[in-house]
Amino acid sequence: MGIPTSPVVTVAFKQECKTNAAKRGMPRLRLVFSPHPVWGKSPEQLWGYMNGPDPATQKPMMQEVINALTMPLTAADTKTGKETPSVGPPTFEPDTAKNLQEFYRNNGYTDFLPIIIPTEEAVDEMLKGTSHHPDELVGKLAAGGGTEAFAAWTFTVRHAAINAVMAGAKPEHLPVILAIASSGVISLISSTNDLAYGALVNGPIRNKLNMNYGIGALGPFAHANAAIGRAWTLVSKNLGNAGIPGETYMGDMGNTLNYLNLIMAENEEASPWEPFDVQHGFKKEENVVSMFSGLSVSAGQVGKGSGVGGTPHFDQQYVDLFYNFTGFFGALLLCEPICANSLKEQGYDTKEKLIDYFYKNATQTAKEYRDRNWSYLFEYGQALKGVEPFATWYKLPDDAVIPKFPHPNRISVVVIGGSTDPVSQVANFSYGKSVSIDKWM
Amino acid sequence: MKINRRRLLQALGMSPALLAGSTAVAEGKTNKKEAGANAEPKIVGLNPKGMPPAITLLPLAPRFGSLDNKTIYMVDIGFNNGNVFFQEMQRWFRENMPSVKTIYRRKDGDYPQDDPKLWAEVKTAGAAVIMGVGH
Repeated sequence: MGIPTSPVVTVAFKQECKTNAAKRGMPRLRLVFSPHPVWGKSPEQLWGYMNGPDPATQKPMMQEVINALTMPLTAADTKTGKETPSVGPPTFEPDTAKNLQEFYRNNGYTDFLPIIIPTEEAVDEMLKGTSHHPDELVGKLAAGGGTEAFAAWTFTVRHAAINAVMAGAKPEHLPVILAIASSGVISLISSTNDLAYGALVNGPIRNKLNMNYGIGALGPFAHANAAIGRAWTLVSKNLGNAGIPGETYMGDMGNTLNYLNLIMAENEEASPWEPFDVQHGFKKEENVVSMFSGLSVSAGQVGKGSGVGGTPHFDQQYVDLFYNFTGFFGALLLCEPICANSLKEQGYDTKEKLIDYFYKNATQTAKEYRDRNWSYLFEYGQALKGVEPFATWYKLPDDAVIPKFPHPNRISVVVIGGSTDPVSQVANFSYGKSVSIDKWM
Repeated sequence: MKINRRRLLQALGMSPALLAGSTAVAEGKTNKKEAGANAEPKIVGLNPKGMPPAITLLPLAPRFGSLDNKTIYMVDIGFNNGNVFFQEMQRWFRENMPSVKTIYRRKDGDYPQDDPKLWAEVKTAGAAVIMGVGH
């Protein structure tokens, strides 16, 4: 900043702030901490914070602020130069497989389940899954995702292969793992929200890898789905330095999806519609992985009108399921094939028509929108800058009815499942980007 | 504490055969003469970590001895109730250090977004800045 600065942060973020400041070149940054939380506290309670202690030092908080801005600098405060952090040697001391299991687990390299020890032979075998040079840089990953809250780490094909071995993947899975890693989308983000991430595979590689997109597609029934998902978690931890609770991970209670992530392959064979990647400009014969982020998956209920002699109205049912969703995270309909084909018979001959129905019929009042924390956190700032529709939504009367989702592109439809029961699922996940898998073959 | 891998896996509801692959690979790396007849073979594992960026150390800005008669910016990065937090902080300065002038600004955009225009204003018109505050 160039002038005396005192960041004041609630104490829940003490370790995260100290570590991150140091990694950003400011190990002596004069951080001051307030009690936590600020959110939901009355002016009187916050006045109490001003007159109370910094919970980290137990000294008066405002005096700490004044000291941070005025106390003379020491030599350490003005140190310049460069430091190269170490992540340890490229190989570890020889040990037994049993001891190495503990070593990898105790050093935070795993998801706390047993791994395959990444020996040189195992990694060399894994590297046969790609034509790319082991030392080629794949990309960058940062614990804060695209927010730039944390400095990004870089990594090579070999680094990704090591983590793929640990996850139990096979060499033929590696191109998908590399594609996911190259996307820059981390599956363990630093946010206090318990975020989860998803990856959707389209193209012939689904069958080549025996990915499960049929019965039990989201369950533990296919090696490729499981290993790719687990590898993404390990890649995020080890190549992006994510997932260190209190330091680079602040999710309040975490998310069970973070173990294997939401790995999907579209049931293109049973779908009446274009595959997801084709919707986004790829050719059907291409192999593509599409990235999603959000919070959770909700099991659907059987469709409205599906009682004896009734006609199912899946479109209306899904709108009901979106009721508690926020527009910020969007919606991902995991449309079961029977439902998809029924919807087509009802006139939804493209996914876009169904999405348009959702956009127009999933609504909320302006007050409901503005009362949401995430609206204030992520969209109020944009509203102030005049970004639509948020600028308008913040000016409307409380009872004005507005779409639940700010744009139809916040809604995605993917066909998945084994046609055993017409029950779809919905996820408050939004689509981010699609990445070529073929590039990493 | 020593952990029996087979028991650990069984406790996790997993088949000990799961790790057969790693053992097989591990055995390929074994120096059997060194290991001895009864010792469990030793293997070498690779480091799975990526490459952190180099750190460029940044010096803190020079301090002045007192805030008297200075202008302090209070920058709210946009978390809920941050505005109220800073209102109370402004009140604290009014009551305790009345010569200090405080200016409240909400940073533009969402909380992770940069706001170079505000930073330029703060550096031009302010003597110091307090930034906060989080949830």
